[in-house]
Amino acid sequence: MSRYAMVIDLRKCVGCDACTVACRTEWDVPIGHGRTWVEQYNTVGEFPNVTSTPWVAQCNHCDDPACIEPCPTGATFQLVNGIVKVDTDLCIGCGICVEACPYDARYINPDTNKVDKCDFCEARLKENLQPACVATCTTNAKYFGDLEDPNSHVYKLVYEQGAWRNENDNASIGPNVYYLGTEEQLKIVREKFGPRKSRLAEPAKVWKNILKPVVFTAIGATFAGQAVAFFNQLRKGEEPIDD
Amino acid sequence: MSISRREFLKRTTIATGALTLLSSTKLKGLQKRNYPKGWKGRMRVQEIPSICEMCFWRCGILGNVDKHGKLLKIEGNPAHPLTHGRLCARGNSGHKLAYDPDRLKYPLMRVGKRGEGKFKRVSWGEALDFLTDKLKEIKEKYGPEAVGFFPHGIQARFFEHLMKAYGTPNIVEPAFAQCRGSRDVGYRLTFGNSVGSPEPLDFENTKLMVFIGTHVGENVFTGQNLAFAQALERGAKLIVVDPRFSVAAAKANYWLPIKPGTDIALLLAWMHVLIYENLYDKNYIRKYAIGFNELKRHVKKTTPLWASKITGLPANLITETARLMGKLAPEVGLHPGRHTAWYGNDTQRARAMAILTALLGSYGHPGGIYLSSNIPAPHFPSPEYPKPAARADGAGDIYPFGSRGLGITNGLVDATFSEKPYPIKAWIVYSQNVLQSIPNPWKTKEAINKLDLFVVVDVLPMEQFLYADLVLPEATYLERYDDLYTVRNAKKPFAAIRQPIIDPLYESKPGWWIARETAKRLGLEDYFEWDSIEDYLNFRLSGLGVTLKKIQTKGIVEYDEGKPFFDFSNPIEFKTPSGKIELYSQLLKDYGFDPLPVYAPVEEVPKGYFRLLYGRAPVHSFARTQNNEILHGYMPENQLWINKQIAEKLGLSDGEYVRLENQDGILSDEIRLFITPGIHPESVFMVHGFDQKSPYLELAYRKGASDTYLMSRVEIDPLSGSTGMRVNFVRIIKNGEPVMVSGGVSVISEFKKTRSDARPKKHIIVPRIHQESEASDEGC
Repeated sequence: MSRYAMVIDLRKCVGCDACTVACRTEWDVPIGHGRTWVEQYNTVGEFPNVTSTPWVAQCNHCDDPACIEPCPTGATFQLVNGIVKVDTDLCIGCGICVEACPYDARYINPDTNKVDKCDFCEARLKENLQPACVATCTTNAKYFGDLEDPNSHVYKLVYEQGAWRNENDNASIGPNVYYLGTEEQLKIVREKFGPRKSRLAEPAKVWKNILKPVVFTAIGATFAGQAVAFFNQLRKGEEPIDD
Repeated sequence: MSISRREFLKRTTIATGALTLLSSTKLKGLQKRNYPKGWKGRMRVQEIPSICEMCFWRCGILGNVDKHGKLLKIEGNPAHPLTHGRLCARGNSGHKLAYDPDRLKYPLMRVGKRGEGKFKRVSWGEALDFLTDKLKEIKEKYGPEAVGFFPHGIQARFFEHLMKAYGTPNIVEPAFAQCRGSRDVGYRLTFGNSVGSPEPLDFENTKLMVFIGTHVGENVFTGQNLAFAQALERGAKLIVVDPRFSVAAAKANYWLPIKPGTDIALLLAWMHVLIYENLYDKNYIRKYAIGFNELKRHVKKTTPLWASKITGLPANLITETARLMGKLAPEVGLHPGRHTAWYGNDTQRARAMAILTALLGSYGHPGGIYLSSNIPAPHFPSPEYPKPAARADGAGDIYPFGSRGLGITNGLVDATFSEKPYPIKAWIVYSQNVLQSIPNPWKTKEAINKLDLFVVVDVLPMEQFLYADLVLPEATYLERYDDLYTVRNAKKPFAAIRQPIIDPLYESKPGWWIARETAKRLGLEDYFEWDSIEDYLNFRLSGLGVTLKKIQTKGIVEYDEGKPFFDFSNPIEFKTPSGKIELYSQLLKDYGFDPLPVYAPVEEVPKGYFRLLYGRAPVHSFARTQNNEILHGYMPENQLWINKQIAEKLGLSDGEYVRLENQDGILSDEIRLFITPGIHPESVFMVHGFDQKSPYLELAYRKGASDTYLMSRVEIDPLSGSTGMRVNFVRIIKNGEPVMVSGGVSVISEFKKTRSDARPKKHIIVPRIHQESEASDEGC
């Protein structure tokens, strides 16, 4: 069994955006959106007594994800290795999960009208490649690995060096992207980049009273569309894998 | 087309075959698994190694190509000895340069007036006939020296070879006078060797890194970023001297927010502490250096207290940092800097840094600056060049230490403008951007207007293209072979190849083809006697015992016999006149310059103004990448950094747009304010390269403000000829009025509502006031 996690060392990170561009080209993320994002300058204090830190964030693949339960179609789900994924065939682009995620890690892709987010480059993992952002990081500040493997580097960084989880009173759901940083850096992070409150005040109520009818209609439409697509595919034969 | 698709595929079949074997785990099974839509990996059939050219560092890349030959994405090449498979934001965006819809697609000839941008499409035959007829005519009438050549990068080497064969001495690159020229002169005068590129800092073994204005992390070279971060991780200390709280400064143990222009005072004070507290490397200095006693006398009075009043830094901070250097010497990596064309005293500042390096004993020592090694890559045999006339740019005479190899761009602009020492009738600009890299673009434009022939060889229609008589579209770095790239500044030197990842788009042609075809028409084909570019590269690689085919799958060949450090057990001969490290330079004395660096104050910032500083961002290179779809998405415009307290006094708010007016009344386009506590109150800062003035650059056109266009004056370094550019002052204009702390209006009541590109006729003298060294209310 594996439990995938990432550790970002803010002491080494320079906020150069190599990771976010690599992610963008790997997954065709439209300009203006990101599966991962960087804030290079977060300077606080008064000249010349100032501190700063770069900030890098992405989906945290939480232990207790806030995005799964509110999803009306079951498109968002979690693998046993911890990766939270979106099944784009089931996603109807309603955006509830975008509101639910306290880290704002999800966006609706305007090209596909589906929700998109980081999936630790699961496809690359299957090819024994590191996630695109980790592979390209110009300062080797991002580490990816298995927290259940005591020999992994991330295990050491988390359990021996005390890498930090970005949690607060708004959300404490076990994010699996950990951070290493100086006290000064983490102070800025806590103040500026801590998770927000869920915007779904009472998700269950919203679900029952308002969305259910809408969603079921949408699911119906999706199934119809799927069926058409399926029969078309049957008619044309197997769809080639590369386009 | 020189390389047809078929030919190209044939050529790379072997490469692909071997590559598939090498990376079989990567590519195997791609057809079987069900991969997510939109993932580039599932379409990738080939990874072709090459070297990047999104900036000048030339990191190793792997172009991921699909079965149609389309470039999907670019990754880092793990075989690259400095970058280890990592690649910056720009390198990752390279495919958007090749697929930029605004690219120059066909040869063009001007039909309108210069600057109008009216062209007709011509064939390559017509274009090259026109070019060579003109070149022949100029040679006959004025001699070959009447042609100025402005190259940049390895891609221009073939054409440079042609221009030398043609007979002109006037070959000039901004890499010298607008960038690192003064630094290299200063280090050469001291150690007998210039620093070169990439900067040979042994961060792997360093205990302390010292940056003076160097902004690693924002000025990104992937290999240097990596070494820097790993040094930090190892626990190396960091001192950053910068008026701006840069990314590196945020990681520093000591940030010294120096008053801009006073670096030499700080350096002299550091030397004072090292010498008078006996912290310098006595053995190293005794054995290898001359002039120590003169230096000791010279820095006797340059105490930290003295420097404190000049630099605005606390004296104890100066002492403490000097002691730290002394304690951790010789494993101190004092970064020589990159772009050092700041104040016109730049060679002397570089001298001071070199002398400090010598006092620490870190030159040629592990943990300090390592030495470059030679690579046996022979040049293809060709006839000797004709003996050229004297240079027109002043390199070697007006500016005695100016590089004759790289030349002095501004010197050639001046010569063209004044027609002295002789008229310059043609410019060929090759991969350079003369209106954005050379300060005072008005003068450059006037010089261009004096030419009989102005040729631009480029990939994108930059502003200079509007003035060209002839435009030749070059293939991008992803579509061509270039000359072998040899890296001497690596502990293990290596050579890397650039090879086509995709076919040249439109009618663009690789540089070697353009040069050779032009040579044929000029009767200079003897200089290009190779059968094919592969033949040429094979010859150059023969010295390393490999063939092109053999390294096409890896892209790199390492040369194991580098000698990065001195063998201190044997005598060391430095390539200076004395054979030793010259703390005191008799050569400088003989030429009438200070033999030891002297601090002289730079001009104070006038009341109501700020000193204009500029630098780099990790998502853009020079003025080159602003039209790249991805990079434009990240940073469509630059911002003006201004000190928070000053902004509050002036009533400015973060994110609002203002204009800048410089000391000569030149007005910038609108720029957004970035209010931060992380900048010296006396200065403002912007990233270089914005406000592109070519309307043919759809994304970049007129976004942000151009620092170059605010540089109507420079302080020329008398030693090297390099243009000090941090000598321009700007004030903030909001709603057509200057922003003053009192809310008052400036003495200049009339402001141009729109920017005029004409050179200002009248030089407006701005009243100066003497300011205290403690920065209190500058800029308002």
